[in-house]
Amino acid sequence: MNATPELTLLQTCLMAVIQAVCVVLFIFIIVPLTIYAERKVLGHAQDRLGATRIAGHRVGLTGWLNRGMWRMGKVPFLSYWRGLPMLVGDIAKLFLKEDIVPTKADRAIFLVAPALSLIASVVVFAAVSFYPGALFTFPKFVPVLGGVPFNGFITDMNVGLLFILGIASVGVYGIVLGAWASNSKYPLLGGLRSGAQIVSYEVPLTLSLLVPVVLTGTLNFNDMTRKLALETSPLAAPLMAVGFLVYFTCGFAETNRMPFDMPEAENELVAGFHTEYSGMRFGFFYLAEYINMVVVSALASAFFLGGPYLLPFGLHRFVQDWPVLGAPNALWYVVKMILLLFVFIWVRGTIPRYRYDQVMAVAWKYLIPFTLVLVVLAAALRFAA
Amino acid sequence: MFKNEEMEINMGPQHPSTHGVLRLKLKLDGEIITKCTPCIGYLHRGVEKICENKSFFQGQVWTDRMDYTSAIANNLGWAESIEKLFGITVPRRAVYIRTLLNEFNRLASHLIWLATHGLDIGAMTVFIYTFREREAILDIFDAFCGSRLTTTAFRIGGLREDLPPGFEKKVRDFLAKFPDCINEYETLLTENRIWKKRTIGVGILKAEDAIAMGVTGPVLRAAGVPYDIRKAFPYAAYSEMDFEIPTRTEADTYARYQVRLEEMRQSARIIQQCIDGLPEGPVMAKLPKVLRSEVNEVYHPTEAPKGELGYYLVGEKGSLNPYRFHVRAPGFINLQALPMMIEGGLVADVIATIGTLDVVLGEIDR
Repeated sequence: MNATPELTLLQTCLMAVIQAVCVVLFIFIIVPLTIYAERKVLGHAQDRLGATRIAGHRVGLTGWLNRGMWRMGKVPFLSYWRGLPMLVGDIAKLFLKEDIVPTKADRAIFLVAPALSLIASVVVFAAVSFYPGALFTFPKFVPVLGGVPFNGFITDMNVGLLFILGIASVGVYGIVLGAWASNSKYPLLGGLRSGAQIVSYEVPLTLSLLVPVVLTGTLNFNDMTRKLALETSPLAAPLMAVGFLVYFTCGFAETNRMPFDMPEAENELVAGFHTEYSGMRFGFFYLAEYINMVVVSALASAFFLGGPYLLPFGLHRFVQDWPVLGAPNALWYVVKMILLLFVFIWVRGTIPRYRYDQVMAVAWKYLIPFTLVLVVLAAALRFAA
Repeated sequence: MFKNEEMEINMGPQHPSTHGVLRLKLKLDGEIITKCTPCIGYLHRGVEKICENKSFFQGQVWTDRMDYTSAIANNLGWAESIEKLFGITVPRRAVYIRTLLNEFNRLASHLIWLATHGLDIGAMTVFIYTFREREAILDIFDAFCGSRLTTTAFRIGGLREDLPPGFEKKVRDFLAKFPDCINEYETLLTENRIWKKRTIGVGILKAEDAIAMGVTGPVLRAAGVPYDIRKAFPYAAYSEMDFEIPTRTEADTYARYQVRLEEMRQSARIIQQCIDGLPEGPVMAKLPKVLRSEVNEVYHPTEAPKGELGYYLVGEKGSLNPYRFHVRAPGFINLQALPMMIEGGLVADVIATIGTLDVVLGEIDR
């Protein structure tokens, strides 16, 4: 996008490290926030308040902030937010718990599997672009990095989408291997389900992403979001809208979320593939699931909802000259992402779980033929244009 | 090169959806159940034997702990069977209050059933909604007898005390809002595509099989047999009540869901009639200090929320306690039909079917 000044090797390396750290920080801030939001949103959906207890009534920061209220014998307003430390507490607890490896487990694979899942879901962000340009430039007085732009993306690969899909599909290995290595029956069932389900749903998911690819003719993340917002014919809007629904549905299956949470189906398979895992190894699977949610939301936001551009489906061209709203903004990107994350939680609170065979039927009988038609239509549209 | 093997897994006794300590030995061909063997007894306390060693006044406490989600229905059966054994007539006001509480108990039990059944299938919000209403019912129990779950609500010959002040208002408040609550559950489930897919055609138990297995309660009525003890052999004040027996003919999990929801509406109707037509008068019959039985036996069936709950009592000449006490627990007999219902189904159907049978292990293992 923007003309990038020539960087020295040192600058390139430093920027790579800084950006990677920033993205990881971003992930590890937004994931606990999602977990907390899940508790709260589900709570309100279910006529209760959600997490309110962790900071205690009179201890900790909120206890101190509320000391006056307690003295007057009133329930403080801040009580509602007492669950906030759960952001940290959830993860801290997992770190502190014992890491048990079953005697009969295949030790090496058992230990590696959760990391595989987590790494696959984090690495995807290497190709995700939050903003098609420099978010800011380091001021001149900063040593070494003076004048270097800080981009809204880590890499500007020309095969960005391919990279994302490739890496994301590695995640399932973590689940299947972990389940297999546990040497236990419920994880085995969960792992088999998950292997079949995730592989099946990858087909319609990829096909639905093919719609924007065909329409724009590129795999580069930034080019795609820009072309989708500014250059695609508005005729493609209905196609994109349907593609979005299909993609998002598959996203639920890919992330093992309700109503497709077969691999862990708590009420059937105890805890599914991670039954034998404890402590932070379980935490890795847990985090990977939420990071995958963020990934799915991030991709949906970029490819179907316009990403950093306000309006999706080629409609942005009508507002591109407006002040502020017309310019791309990383804020729009994140707001859309958060809205989608909310939908993830909302759906969980609303509908029951499919049965395993029905999940597969949805993928093979409906979604795959349907997305094939979508891709053909997109191709036709592209030819016509 | 490839070997086909059946996998044997244990579902329970510690499993999130076996409703307590039910253990199922499942043989799986992939995800398909080829054989299911229920193993019970993990919660056995010997309630029947204990009651044989307690006086007639003392046994009721143990009935609370059989089906702990419907303690009042158990109490009612116990009290009435002893009254039948000794030929005691209970004052009408007490009978009405018993009927009222029994129907509240049916609501509480069905609410727990809906909660856990929904949760098993993954509808987690229904769980909290139903527990909200159940909480109101438990408050009513609390107001009446001081406890919420193990009520020991009645006395032989009537009630220990009359209704507390403010009780009637509580009941009327509840009745005013309850129909809307059922509608709320229905908006979440009844027309939900996933709910229908998970329940329609799952766990079918045809009428003739159900009768052959001795299955009673909503499971039998969902197969089209309108057998309800409240109508067939009226007890308490049911002969004076105007209510319907909901039935369906599909005999599947969805039909049982509809039957139970309609039963909740009918229960609310009965409660309304009880509270409107509550007679005045005493609540306790004149009883001797000590009940000494004759040689006599009695079987008293009642329609507990889960089916026919029968108490069989044998009296011994001059004895303070029953010579023999046996409970026909509906859950125990309904559970027999489980293998028949799930063999050939999928693992997920086992969960749906256990939920729809509404088993409580406290009563099965006794």
